[in-house]
Amino acid sequence: MKFSTLNDAFWLKLWFSLKSEAAKNYLNYVWWLLEPALHVAVFYFVFGLIFQRGGEGFIAFLLCGQIPYLWFSRTVNNAAGSILGGRGLIQQMAIPTAFFPAVVVGKDALKQTVVFAVLLLFLATQGAQPSWMWLTLPAVVFTQLLLVTGGALLVAAVTPFVPDVRFLIQAGMMMLLFASGIFYDYSELLSEQQQSFFLMNPVANLIVSYRNVLLHGDWPNWPGLFWISMLSGACIMGMLIFYRRAAPVYARLVVE
Amino acid sequence: MPTTALELRDVTLEYRMRRSFFRHSFRRALDGVSFDVEKGETVGIIGGNGSGKSTLLRVLGGIYRPNSGHIACWCENIMMLSLGLGFDPELSGRDNALIGGVLLGGRRREVKQRVDQMIAFAELEEQSKDPVKTYSSGMKARLGFSVALTMEADLLLIDEVLGVGDQAFQQKAKAAMLSRINSEQTVVFVSHSLAMVTQLCNRVVWLERGRVRQQGSAVDIVEAYKIEQQNKT
Repeated sequence: MKFSTLNDAFWLKLWFSLKSEAAKNYLNYVWWLLEPALHVAVFYFVFGLIFQRGGEGFIAFLLCGQIPYLWFSRTVNNAAGSILGGRGLIQQMAIPTAFFPAVVVGKDALKQTVVFAVLLLFLATQGAQPSWMWLTLPAVVFTQLLLVTGGALLVAAVTPFVPDVRFLIQAGMMMLLFASGIFYDYSELLSEQQQSFFLMNPVANLIVSYRNVLLHGDWPNWPGLFWISMLSGACIMGMLIFYRRAAPVYARLVVE
Repeated sequence: MPTTALELRDVTLEYRMRRSFFRHSFRRALDGVSFDVEKGETVGIIGGNGSGKSTLLRVLGGIYRPNSGHIACWCENIMMLSLGLGFDPELSGRDNALIGGVLLGGRRREVKQRVDQMIAFAELEEQSKDPVKTYSSGMKARLGFSVALTMEADLLLIDEVLGVGDQAFQQKAKAAMLSRINSEQTVVFVSHSLAMVTQLCNRVVWLERGRVRQQGSAVDIVEAYKIEQQNKT
């Protein structure tokens, strides 16, 4: 398949997937914002109101953790079933298998752009002073895009071979939810030694950068961003080579 | 310029079936298949259910990689004409036609200009903006056929699609296929309809349990196949 064809097909599939997804619900595109808002509301209710933790600015703190986490978790979950979901096409044409997780990544990244725009608006109206550091936000977002892409390509590649992986992903995402400092401040709870271990979790590391930039008007954690980008980039390259070699295998795998 | 479009030599393909955690069994769908397809000719593939016809078409289309054997192809653009092309049920027939055309190798602008033609051929003008989930299976099949037929390819692989829709549409689809076949199009055609195979194909390959039982002129092979079927019953 030519690159120009693939490019056209990618964007069309992306727009049409968004349209098709929105058509399934009464509130259509509103869910892009309502989903993260509901998650934050649940955490705020449990930790802010029932356990009386968090204090002032807890909602902004939660948002800066929950939104990046949801992006990662949603994309990786959706990507896991993307190749099996595309079996109708895989069975009919020699289409690169990476096309399917790539559409998922593109679709979720587009939604996320809107969510981030609303998040900035929310923070600006809720007392967080917009600072020049907000200009470094694209670097953090781009690093997360690399991480999300690497994760999505990896799980999408593995799931058709071992469908059971989907259960592990669910458990992994649950663990990530508790281990990424979304509803607690890791620097208050963990010793210094534990903190360096905690920051090896790339999602937790990214959340630190998001909060530095958006809440504290500080620089992102550049070394963290650098290592996440390098490892994600290597993962993406490796997975693309793998997809190239394994493409005809997938066509048979989805019927076996 | 080679006159051969496709060359298959000893192509073997096995499906792996999981029986339990570590145990797998294998089913040989194609077993040492060899034949050539010349440019501009229409080759029919016949055989009973499970003889490997659809698998063979997917191997020719580069969708499946065989376990062993050799395939040489001198066609740039191969298109498999099959029904439904992964339609999204939530999208309209028009949107699905557009994305289907692009996936079959057309540029977006070019396909956009042809969407009306696709919809008109499928006789779906009134329903073109409705979601495909509201279409009957015949309507979906007509749309799939129209999308694939409107696009161009060096090698056309056709899998049992001429039985689409009602009698009138079948006649129209057959006429459109014939005009395409007559315009120097290279075609590999899988069908259970022996009359259609005799009418459309120059040569026929008869598959039985994944092996080539016979190959040769359409009339001779179809005749031999019919006799075999009669003897079985």
